[in-house]
Amino acid sequence: MIEIKNLKAEIDGKEILKGLNLSIGNGEVHAIMGPNGAGKSTLSYVLAGRDGYEVTGGSARLDGQDILEMEPDERAAAGLFLAFQYPVEIPGVQMTTFLKTALNAVRKARGEEELDAIGLLKLMKTKCKELGISDEMMKRAVNVGFSGGEKKRNEVLQMAMLEPKFAVLDETDSGLDIDALRIVADGVNALRAQNRSFLVITHYQRLLDYIKPDHVHVLADGKIVKSGGPELALELEKKGYGEFAKGQAA
Amino acid sequence: MNAQENNLAKFKPRYRAETADLALSEWERLVPASAEWVNALRRRAQMSVQETGLPTPKLERWKYTNLPAKLKKMDLVYKDADITLSGMTDYAYSFPKGMLHFPQWAQDRVEEDVPSHDKYGDMMLWQAANAYLKDGFILDIPAGVKSSKPLNVTMAGHAGAYFVPRQVIRVGEGAEFTLIEYQNGSGAYWGNIVTQIELHKGAKLNHYRFQENSENGVVTQNTHIVMKEEASYESFTLTTGAELSRHQIHVDMKGQRGECHINGVNMLDGSKLSDTTITIDHCASNCVSNQNYRNVVDDKATAVFQGKVHVHQIAQKTDGYQMAKSLLLSGQATVNTKPELEIYADDVKCSHGATTGRLDEEALFYLRARGIPEKQARNLLIQAFVNEVIENISSDEVREQSELVVGRWLMEQA
Repeated sequence: MIEIKNLKAEIDGKEILKGLNLSIGNGEVHAIMGPNGAGKSTLSYVLAGRDGYEVTGGSARLDGQDILEMEPDERAAAGLFLAFQYPVEIPGVQMTTFLKTALNAVRKARGEEELDAIGLLKLMKTKCKELGISDEMMKRAVNVGFSGGEKKRNEVLQMAMLEPKFAVLDETDSGLDIDALRIVADGVNALRAQNRSFLVITHYQRLLDYIKPDHVHVLADGKIVKSGGPELALELEKKGYGEFAKGQAA
Repeated sequence: MNAQENNLAKFKPRYRAETADLALSEWERLVPASAEWVNALRRRAQMSVQETGLPTPKLERWKYTNLPAKLKKMDLVYKDADITLSGMTDYAYSFPKGMLHFPQWAQDRVEEDVPSHDKYGDMMLWQAANAYLKDGFILDIPAGVKSSKPLNVTMAGHAGAYFVPRQVIRVGEGAEFTLIEYQNGSGAYWGNIVTQIELHKGAKLNHYRFQENSENGVVTQNTHIVMKEEASYESFTLTTGAELSRHQIHVDMKGQRGECHINGVNMLDGSKLSDTTITIDHCASNCVSNQNYRNVVDDKATAVFQGKVHVHQIAQKTDGYQMAKSLLLSGQATVNTKPELEIYADDVKCSHGATTGRLDEEALFYLRARGIPEKQARNLLIQAFVNEVIENISSDEVREQSELVVGRWLMEQA
């Protein structure tokens, strides 16, 4: 259960989120849509705890715990996962090392037993197969030389391994062709579960054809300005964001 | 005028003769050698140092490293060097007592060789080492011998000691050998090491160093490598120790189609200063030289990297590469890098580069967003940075040891 209340945040003294309210129940998939500059990516970074995003008010609770007080890694251990819009390339850090370190750090923090190399390899192989990720990719450095589609699939792989309670997908559709989009969406859909909630952030309705949301919200000028069912996404696709763009800097 | 007199005239205004005492104050105590050539060499060298003093920052290649200032604060007495040989010792032996029965080739090298004819006028540490020529070993690998088992050399520093180890090494035609140096110790001391290596036709030497000297120790080391045709030399130095260290490497590529790799990783914390100064003289055609260094500098530490590739006119088809990358982990850490190319041949491929930066914040956040705690995430990125060099070490054993030393260094950081 995610409860975001009156969330305010700024970057370099400029207020971006201006009192955002959002509540996502267990197992639900919510979508946030909105024009450029509405604060979509800021919301994802604020939730994940990136430096430079200053929270000036409000709260964000994950199963009752205020995550805004936590370090980024503590948030991950608490069950938050951010699928990056632009996954970062990390030369010299091999995928397997990265996944093992991340998974065991999270397991340790959650009080679970750490996996040995063999256990990890098995788990990785299973998840890779499900997502159509080749073993060869696992031998490379994190995201280095990955295509746009591979990078996004890699995000879903990490999500599958870390088993979060709450996953935020930040413009996961950006830079993907239809085939890649389908693979990524299938991966996400496979992870939908009673105890796992999703927040899908997107500019276009297209992604929502593949990942069907329970609720759709419109984010404009740092606030949720309209909420509805899946039909709201279709409506936005037709009408555009024009009516919500008022009051924003051109 | 000979070369030395020339230098004296040219550099005299930059010399500080009074600093000679720092290296020579105990010289009179040195027991005379039985071999007359040694006594004569010591005397000549002692006189040379008395005239020039020790290198000060007034000299171009010592701009960033003030050795006399450091030595002045130390209270040292000349002591025997503590050198232990282990592993493949079949071809190695300590200098004989009284320096008698020295092999002629080794005597020739010791008597004649001051690299690059001392064109910078700053080889006084070499001279100071000559002035104390007594402790050391000879390693003489006969032609054709190939040993996969390395010779391990441990040089230990002891509190209050000034010691002067010498290594004289010859790898015969077509021979292959591995030498691993371990430098460590406790307390404040100064080791002034000279390593002379000659590689004959087609010879191959892998030379590794773990510089883990005491955090109050000072170590200065001159390594001079002379390579004949088709010889191959791989060097890797991992520096984690010494309050002040200067490692000066000079490669003379004298035969065609030689290949040398001079690599290293310096991991510095506290107020350590590590200076790596390299000169590669391409004196023959079709040779390859690579220099690849990584500096990780924390706290108030300083890394100095000065690398030079000198391509002589005759050295056509030279392939010279040099890269020094530095990672600053604190706001007070310092890096001084000076890459230099001096090219007189017209058909060569040479490149050099240097970068200095901080840990990539984006990468750090990405790792942390996946649940990896900050310290662990930083260590992963630092390991990746130094592994760019470590992964190229051809000895599996040394590569694994290096990873362990790096891991330990990272664990010890606050």
